[in-house]
Amino acid sequence: MQSMEFPLVLFTVLSQAAVGLALMGAVRVSSGPQGRSPRREWIMVAGLIGLGLLASLFHLGHPTGAPRALVHLSTAWLSREVLLAGTFAVLAVLAVLVSKTEVNPVLAWAGSLVGLGLILSAGMTYAPPAFPAVNNALPATFFLLSAVTLGAGFGSWFASESRQPLMGGIFGAGLLVALVLYLVVPCVWLSGGAVMRMTGQTWLGSGFYWVHVAVLAACLLVFRLTKGIPVWLPVLLLLGELAGRAGFFADTIHTAANLGGLY
Amino acid sequence: MKKQYAFLVDSELCIGCFTCAMACRNYYHPPEGVIWRQVYPLDEEIYPHRERAFYSLACNHCENPTCLNVCPVEAYTKREEDGVVVHHQEKCIGCGNCIRSCPYGAPKYNPVEKRAEKCSFCHERLDAGLKPACIQSCPTGALSMVDLAELEPGNQVQYPAGFPKMEDVNPSTRFILPKLPRLVRR
Amino acid sequence: MATNKSAFSRRSFIKGMVGAGVAGLLPCRFLVPQAQAAAFDPEEFQVFRNACPRNCYDTCSIKTYVKDGVVRFIEGAPESTFTRGGLCVKGYAYTRRPYSPDRVKYPMVQDGRRSGKWRRVSWDEAMDKIARKILELKEQDGNLLGLGMTKYSGNFGITNYAVEGLMSSLGYTTRFVGTPCWPAGIDAQNYDMGNMWCNDPEDMVKSKYIIIWGANPAWCSVHTMKYIMEAKRRGAKVVVVDPVFTQTAAKGDVYWQPKTASDGALALGMARHILDKGMVDRNFTDNHGLGFGEFADYLRGNVTVEWAAEQSGIPAEEIRQVAEEFASADPATIWIGYGMQRHTNGGASVRSIDALVAMTGNVGKEGGGARYGHLQTWGFNYNAMIQQKPEGSVGFVGGAAKGEFDFTSGSEASYSDRTVNINKTAQNILDTKDPALRMLWVSCKNPFGQDFDRPKLEKAFDTLEMVVTVDQFFNETVANSDIVLPVTTLFEEWTVNASYWHYWLGLNEQAIKPMYEAKSNIEIGMALSRKMNELSPGSCTFPQEPDTREWMAKEFNQGIYDLFGIDDWTALKNGPVKAKLASSASWSTFQFGTPSGKYEFRSDICKDNGHMALPEYMEPRKSYDKFRLLTPHTKFAIHSQFLNLDWMQEYDKQPYLYMHPEAAAEKGIKDLDMVRVFNKVGEQKVVAKLTTNVAKDCLLIYEAWFGKGSTFNVQNLVDDESADMGEYKAGAPGVAIHDQFADVEKA
Repeated sequence: MQSMEFPLVLFTVLSQAAVGLALMGAVRVSSGPQGRSPRREWIMVAGLIGLGLLASLFHLGHPTGAPRALVHLSTAWLSREVLLAGTFAVLAVLAVLVSKTEVNPVLAWAGSLVGLGLILSAGMTYAPPAFPAVNNALPATFFLLSAVTLGAGFGSWFASESRQPLMGGIFGAGLLVALVLYLVVPCVWLSGGAVMRMTGQTWLGSGFYWVHVAVLAACLLVFRLTKGIPVWLPVLLLLGELAGRAGFFADTIHTAANLGGLY
Repeated sequence: MKKQYAFLVDSELCIGCFTCAMACRNYYHPPEGVIWRQVYPLDEEIYPHRERAFYSLACNHCENPTCLNVCPVEAYTKREEDGVVVHHQEKCIGCGNCIRSCPYGAPKYNPVEKRAEKCSFCHERLDAGLKPACIQSCPTGALSMVDLAELEPGNQVQYPAGFPKMEDVNPSTRFILPKLPRLVRR
Repeated sequence: MATNKSAFSRRSFIKGMVGAGVAGLLPCRFLVPQAQAAAFDPEEFQVFRNACPRNCYDTCSIKTYVKDGVVRFIEGAPESTFTRGGLCVKGYAYTRRPYSPDRVKYPMVQDGRRSGKWRRVSWDEAMDKIARKILELKEQDGNLLGLGMTKYSGNFGITNYAVEGLMSSLGYTTRFVGTPCWPAGIDAQNYDMGNMWCNDPEDMVKSKYIIIWGANPAWCSVHTMKYIMEAKRRGAKVVVVDPVFTQTAAKGDVYWQPKTASDGALALGMARHILDKGMVDRNFTDNHGLGFGEFADYLRGNVTVEWAAEQSGIPAEEIRQVAEEFASADPATIWIGYGMQRHTNGGASVRSIDALVAMTGNVGKEGGGARYGHLQTWGFNYNAMIQQKPEGSVGFVGGAAKGEFDFTSGSEASYSDRTVNINKTAQNILDTKDPALRMLWVSCKNPFGQDFDRPKLEKAFDTLEMVVTVDQFFNETVANSDIVLPVTTLFEEWTVNASYWHYWLGLNEQAIKPMYEAKSNIEIGMALSRKMNELSPGSCTFPQEPDTREWMAKEFNQGIYDLFGIDDWTALKNGPVKAKLASSASWSTFQFGTPSGKYEFRSDICKDNGHMALPEYMEPRKSYDKFRLLTPHTKFAIHSQFLNLDWMQEYDKQPYLYMHPEAAAEKGIKDLDMVRVFNKVGEQKVVAKLTTNVAKDCLLIYEAWFGKGSTFNVQNLVDDESADMGEYKAGAPGVAIHDQFADVEKA
C-alpha cells in the first residue's frame, strides 16, 4: 500500500545505529576502562548520523526547506525528531573533535540522552493514529531494539577484550527480545480491528518481514555458536534491520486504505 | 461552539455518481493520481449490495487536525472564521508526515509540486459567497455544507460504519446512512 | 504577495506553452491552494455558454470559465432548474478533453489499416485524397451510391447535421439509417399516441407513484434523480423494475427483479388485475381511448396475474399490490427506459406499459405520463442538413427511409439516397451491391465501439476501398480507417443543443480556438467542398463559407423563438431557456396524434406495419447460450466516450464482468479472477466481480472504451438481432442489445 520510503529507512536505521553505538560507548565508559580508539568510534557515530541525516533529505520534496522543519516544536514530533537528530549530530562531531584517547564522559552521556530522545521522538512520529497497528509504543520499542542490537554489535568493534562479554550479552539479549517481539506482534495484530488485522496479514506475507526475522534468528544463532560477535555480524544485522524497516514503512496498513470497510 | 463548516454526506441521497470527485478535479486540476475527493463504496458487510452505497470523502476539517499537529513547518492552519483547515503549499517541504499521519488520508502527495495538498473546502469560493465546487456539483443534494455550531440534532452521525472513529481529532464530516428498498427478486 | 507572484508566473508560463503549441501537456495547475489566495473573482475569467452534445437525457447547459484562451473549469448553468448549476462525472471531465494528449491533432493517413502507422498530412492533402476518391467512384459507378455515410449521436449539436448536408451536397449516397438506441419504443408510442412526447421531467415531483421501468437515471440522467427523490420525500412510492439491482433500484422503495424481457407480461398482468378490480379510468378509456374494449377482452381471454407471475418471476401477490397502488395513486407515472425496449419484443412491451398508464388515466396528466422521450424542442431549420444535390446527380430509385431526427419534408425527386439499416452495419457493407459500398464516411459515431458483431465489422471494413473517420481520439474505428480528420470539441465550435427529455435549450459558444488543426463538421464540409469544386467545378454544392457562428444562427426560426419566448438566439448567451409549456404534461388536451385523435389501445397502423393491433404479449428471444448477457452503460462513460480520458480513469481504471456468486462458484470463478466470456459472436477477457446485484443467470459487462492500448470491447459479444419495432419512425428496426447470451470460464 504505502511506499517503502527508502530515505526514511536509511535515516531511521542509521541514526538508531549511531545512537546505539553512543549508548554502548557510554555504558562502557561507566563500567570500566576505555576500549580501543574512542575517536574512531565517535567518527563512526558521526558518520552514521551524518549519513542518516543526508539520506533524510532525499525524503523531502524540497530539501532546502529542511531547516524550517524545526519551527513546529510545540506539537510536531517530527520537529522534535529533527532537533534531536541535529543536536545528536553536533554532539557526535564535538566528541570526534575532543576525544583523543579518552572518551569525554559528559559528551558520551549527553549524546546517549539526546539519542534516546531521538529514538522516542522518532517512535512518536511514526506512531500516528492513521496506523492502528503501530499507534502505540511499538515503533519506539522497535527503534530502541534496533539501536541496542546495532549499537552492541558495532560496539564490539571498539570495545576492549574485557568489555566484549558485556557487548555480547547486550547483543544477544537484545536479539532475543527483538526476535520474540517481531514474531509475536503480527500475530497479536491478527486478533485486532480490521486495519490492524490487515497489517498483521501483510507483515506475515511480506518478504521484508521474513528476511528481517531470519536475520535476527541467524545473528542470534551465530552469536550462540561462536560465543561472540564476529566482525561481519553487525553488518549482516544492519542489512536485516534495513529490510525490517522497509517492511515497517511498506507493509503497515493505513486506515484510509479501508475507507468504506469495517474498522 | 465556534463556527465550524462541515461536509454533510447524505448516503440516502447519494447515488455514487462521482460527480463531486470530478467537479473537484475540474476545478483544481491535480496531477495524475492525486485525488482530493474520492467516492468510496461501502463494503457488503455494511450495505449488502456491492457498489450501491457510498461515502463521498475529502478533508474532514477536524477540530484537532492531525495534519496540522504533525506538520514540522506549520504549513497548515485552521481558519478562525469557519474552522476550515488550509494547507499552505508554499510553506510545505514535502516531508509526507501529514500524508502518513492523517487517519482519513486527506492530504496527498503531489509528485509535480513535490509537496502535499488537500481539500481546502474551496475557501476562496466560500470567501466569494459561493459553494465549494463539489457541493455545487452534486446532482441530488447528497453532499452539502453545514455549520456544526448550528446543526440541529437529527439523524446525522459522526462515525458510521466504514469511517474510522478518531475521537481525538474529532472530524467535522457528518453522515446520513443509506437505506434499503424492499427487494423482490427471483 | 509572493504567492500571487508565483501563481502569475505559472500562468504566464502556461500561456507561453499554449502559444508554443505544446498544450498537450496540459492541464497543469491553474489554481494552487493557498490560504492567502484572494476570494474567487469571476471577473478574472471570460465566461462562455456551452452545452453538452452527448446522447444523454440531461443535455446539460454549461458555463465555461476561460482565461488566457484556456478552459480553466466549467460548471452547470445555474439558470437551468434542471441541471441546477451542476453537471455529471462525464460533463466535468470536459475540461480535460480538448487538452487530452491522446487527441487526434492533425489530419492523418494510415499506411495500412490497424498498422498504427499514422502519418501527418495537411488538410489540403487529406481533402485532395478524399475528393479524388469521390470523383473516382462517381466516374466508375455513374453515381455516388458507393459512398456510404454512418453517423449517429456522437455529437448532437444541431450544426453537426452538416455531415448529412455534406453528403447531400455531393449527390445521392448510401446512408446508414435507424438508431441502436430507442426506436422500438418510439414506434410503440407513435402507435399508441401518435407521437413520442413525455411530460416535463421536472413535474415528476408531483407524482404520487413512480415506476422506473428499465431505466437507470442514477447513472444515465443524474439530474432527474432529484425530482424522484423530492417526490419520494413528499410521500410518493418509487418502484424500480430492472433485471439488475441498479443504483436507481437502491434508491427506490421497492425493487422488482423480473426475468429479462418479461416486461410485457408483467405490465399486462398488472393491467388484468386493474381491470378485475374495476380500477380502470373509464373517463379516459371511453372519451380519449380507442379500442379499450378489445384490449380488455384480450386481457380477460389471455392474461392472468398468475401467468404474468410465472413469466416474470415476480410473485402474483406482489403484482396485485403494486398494480392496485399504481391504479389508485393520482397522479402516477411510469418512466419507460430505453434498456427495456432493446429486445426482440421491446416495442410490444412498451405498448403494454403505455396501456397500463393510459387505462389508469395517467396519460395527459401533470405528474403522470408514460415517459419515454420527446422531440418537441427540436424544430430547428436544419440549415446545415438541407443541401441541394449537384446538377445531374444520379441516385437510388425506390425511396429512402428517414431517421427519427430527420425533420425535412419529403423530397419529390425521383432519385433518393440509398438507405441501409444502421444496426446491421457490418452485414450491409458486405451485402450491398450495384454499386457496392466502396467508401465510407464516419462522423459522430464509433461503429467499432457501438455497432454489433464487431468481428464481422472488421471483415466488412476490410472490403472498403477507403474509410474516412472524423473523430477526436484514436479509437478502434479510427484504427480501421485510412484517413482520420480531427474534429472540434464542444468548446471549439458554435452550435445549439436541445434535449429529448427536458425542455431546456442551450447555446454552445466557441469558447476557445480549436486546438491543433481541429475543424468542426461544418468546416470539414466547407473544406471538402472547396477541394471538390477545385477538382471538378459544380461537383459539390456545400457552401464554402461563412463561419460556424453564422451557420448556427441560421438554425433558428420564429417557431423556436416563440416556443422558448426569446426574440433572438443571442438571448441564449444569458443562459439556457426553457420552452413555455401550456402544461407540464404531454397530451394535456387529449388531442392525440393518432389517426383517430385518441389514445389507440388498438392501432391499425401498428397492425399495417406487421405487428399486433393490440398491445399483446410477445415472446422474448430464445436463449442461444448459458447466461443472459447485459451490456448497458457505465456511469463513467457514454458508449466509447469519456473513459479514454486519464481524468476519468482516476476513478474507473478497468472493465469488469459482474456475475452472481453462486453462478461463479459453479464455474470455479473467484472474485477478481480473469475470465473469458464467449458466445457465437466472439469473446472478451475481463476481470470478474461477484455480486448479487445481477441474477444468477446473468452476466453483466458495462460498455466502454478505455482508450489507447485497451482492446476491451463488449461488441465482441453482441449480435445484430433486430428489435420488433423501429422502422416506422426511425427508418430501421432497433436492435436487441439486451437479448444476448454467453458463457463464461476462468481464463
